Amino acid sequence: MRTKIYPIKDILWFLAFLGLMSGIFRMWFGLGVTTNMVDSIPWGLWKILNMVAGAALATSGFTIGMLYYVFRIKLFKPLVVPSVVIAFLGYGSSLFSLLFDIGLPWRFWIPFVSWSPHSFLYEVFWCVSLYWAVTAFEFTPSLFDRFKSEKAARILHGMGFGAAVLGISLSSLHHSSLGSLFLVTPQRLFPLWYSSLLPLFFIISAMGAGMMFMLLLRILYAHFYDPEPVFGPMPKEGAITCSLDGTPVKATGSGKDMPMLETLAIIAVSILGVYLALKISDLFINGSWKYLTAGTWESWLYIFELLIGTVIPILLVALPKSRRSPTGLGIAALSASAGLVLNRLDVGIIGYFRDAGFVYFPSFSEWTLCLGIISATILVFLFFVENVSVFDENWKTRHVAKGIFSGSFDNLTHVLKSVLSETAQRVTLIAVISIPFAWIIQYPPYHESKNDATIVQPSIGLDALRKSLRIDGNRDGVFADFPHYEHQNRLGGEESCNNCHHLFLPGDKSTPCFRCHRNMLQSTLIFDHTLHVSAVADSEGFSGLHPENYTCKVCHTEGSVKTASNAKSCLECHNRDMGLADVKDSSLDISYATSYQRAMHGTCIKCHDLKAEELHKDQLNKCFICHKSLTPKDNLIDKMREPKLLLVENVRSESD
Amino acid sequence: MFSILVDVTLCTGCEQCAAACVEANNLDPVAAEIDRSSTKDGLTGNRLSTVLKVGEKSFAKKACMHCVEPSCVAACLCGGITKTPEGPVIYDPDKCIGCRYCMLACPFHIPRYEWDDLTPHIKKCDFCFERLQNGQIPACVEQCPTGALTFGERNALLHEAHQRIKNKPNLYINRVFGEEEYGGTSVIYISDVDLCELGFPERDTAPITDITEPLIHKTPLIGMTAMGSMLGLNWIIKRRMEQSGNNENEDISVGDKNMGGKK
Repeated sequence: MRTKIYPIKDILWFLAFLGLMSGIFRMWFGLGVTTNMVDSIPWGLWKILNMVAGAALATSGFTIGMLYYVFRIKLFKPLVVPSVVIAFLGYGSSLFSLLFDIGLPWRFWIPFVSWSPHSFLYEVFWCVSLYWAVTAFEFTPSLFDRFKSEKAARILHGMGFGAAVLGISLSSLHHSSLGSLFLVTPQRLFPLWYSSLLPLFFIISAMGAGMMFMLLLRILYAHFYDPEPVFGPMPKEGAITCSLDGTPVKATGSGKDMPMLETLAIIAVSILGVYLALKISDLFINGSWKYLTAGTWESWLYIFELLIGTVIPILLVALPKSRRSPTGLGIAALSASAGLVLNRLDVGIIGYFRDAGFVYFPSFSEWTLCLGIISATILVFLFFVENVSVFDENWKTRHVAKGIFSGSFDNLTHVLKSVLSETAQRVTLIAVISIPFAWIIQYPPYHESKNDATIVQPSIGLDALRKSLRIDGNRDGVFADFPHYEHQNRLGGEESCNNCHHLFLPGDKSTPCFRCHRNMLQSTLIFDHTLHVSAVADSEGFSGLHPENYTCKVCHTEGSVKTASNAKSCLECHNRDMGLADVKDSSLDISYATSYQRAMHGTCIKCHDLKAEELHKDQLNKCFICHKSLTPKDNLIDKMREPKLLLVENVRSESD
Repeated sequence: MFSILVDVTLCTGCEQCAAACVEANNLDPVAAEIDRSSTKDGLTGNRLSTVLKVGEKSFAKKACMHCVEPSCVAACLCGGITKTPEGPVIYDPDKCIGCRYCMLACPFHIPRYEWDDLTPHIKKCDFCFERLQNGQIPACVEQCPTGALTFGERNALLHEAHQRIKNKPNLYINRVFGEEEYGGTSVIYISDVDLCELGFPERDTAPITDITEPLIHKTPLIGMTAMGSMLGLNWIIKRRMEQSGNNENEDISVGDKNMGGKK
């Protein structure tokens, strides 16, 4: 019967080694390459599944303690020790996984010295740490039993009650606080999962499903190690295993532990029933039931979660037939545990997807480390099950395994057998397979995209003095590289700024490329001659077959050769468009964004101030330099400089 | 308490504030540009201030709002984030353990994490706290060419904001964003378009600390109640059992030698 566990152990070892490699890579390369967490989903699989869900599944340590020590239900005595072991290992692995999740693991002790009592996470941190210490304390008697120091064991047993009560209060605090952690996200968490009752939901569901998880482990233990107390007396070896009609003879009757397990299941599903009722009434009180009927994937997930977490276990336990069969109870327990884990994932990760606009799927490293830690925990648990009194009171009289992980590769390695134990052989073989495998598929640098070539040189408006600018005019994330330095050189060096920057084209934040590059196939002139010819013909009212033929002399007033040098300046026609002619013309405020005017003033004045000082030309930062209608006496420039510092005194003096 | 008033109608989206921010915080300008497309709003660990397009043709600066009652401060389990009396919400890298709860708690999605760093820290705007202490105004405000950003005392700026809305009621939406949302922010906005894109909720949304604070104060009470009720229940049940003479099992609370399966 016990050999059934071997393949499972092999898989667990394999996962544990994969997890080990992920853990090494996480510490070696950092969170960025090994995880898929992003700024909008800052909490990933390790925190939510390993910590939040893991702690919830290990609740049995306090619920069974409560039933046994406080309510004095002696029926549950055989479960007290296993529940303590589960709590100790569950919390240990949760805390261990947190070391990989937090960014600076070597500083984990800071909350012990730097207190911040207004934080729920601080409360969780303290309560979980203390509770873990309490479970360790409760757990040691089992070890002492093993090592036969009965006196110490007796003293510690005596303190069991006190430890249990302390554990109960610490547990009730941190389980509710784990729910309270998510109270700070009313606007981010999907409304179906957000509720002001989250702390209550967390502790109730953890109590119910924690008991169910305990039940599951008890049944699994029976399945793999010692079926008789649960599955009933098994047919003896060599006995007839088939009845006459060919159906195999199954275990008959039920084991002596079944009444206890049934009672536990009934208590657990009653708690889950309360949880379900609370959840549904909260939906209606909150008014979030409309999200349930909206038909989004969240509503289906929510229904599925409640279905497997509460409805299925309740139904399975309520029906006498399935309640009395270990398999039925096992399925109910598995379903409740899965529902609990799904609920924690929903509240901690999945409920944030819609707000973040991003779907987080954990990376391979995240999955392997998560499963690796869980596998390692199970292996340690199996170690305790096989070597220390956990489930079975008669563990000493039972056949105790020769080694923890007895192997079955005997035929292959007779030579090594003399050197290594069977267990070591087996584990070494798995390690030899899994570690290179993990290395090959997980080594982060293999996955880094090799697109260094696409990273362009310094860019954009951040620093206009750079040689190349990166322009994303419409902010759609697609950039064009603009060789600013080359343009500057080609147009005449430092003094050519105004060729582009002083165009004063209202409505433009910066000069778009097409102002100059009208035709991408030809050399560039900023002035669009064709456009002007037809526009001038229109505005001057020329008639005839080709009115544009009469337009030349409108601009090219002198000389027979018509070049740019003998044409009118732009301002002679575009005085209104450019807002230079008359600063008092208020019509500009209507037709164009006010802010443009202010932007121009802001940018111009700053540069003009600088140049005035640099070149010792006092006039350069005066209004009339640009605004031709003004005289040197009109100095409005200080008015255009917005006050950037506003104090209460200033406001008062203004209003006075 | 100091504040920044952002007048969205005056912002042209030139991003000079973001450039000044990069310079003032000694960030890598190349990374600031390259990484910006990796997030929805352009905020990254190398870019603590960004300019978002809101509505059809308006722009708004987005950086830490420096809430009056910040939920990140309430969230941090080591007291690594504090709200200073001068207004800035500042981050102390020496106290951080990297739990990232502040990122989850922020209603405006502001804190960023240096994911690729081996000693990662939270990055967010600190209101140029050092500059303030030296008597300077924040770099973004100093740089802003259009007067869209104004620095000052919060009450004065609120007065100014209401004044501007009163003067041009047709232009502005009659709402000072950040006046009372989540208990108020130190970066306040007036605008001609709705600023929901920046994360502003309904006008009368209570601070998030209103949800957590009353509960956290009850914590010792809950613990004590749990412990007390357990002890009380235990005493009652024990007494009932003794009275009914149901004593076939010895007292389990003290000296249970058989616990743990020893027989």
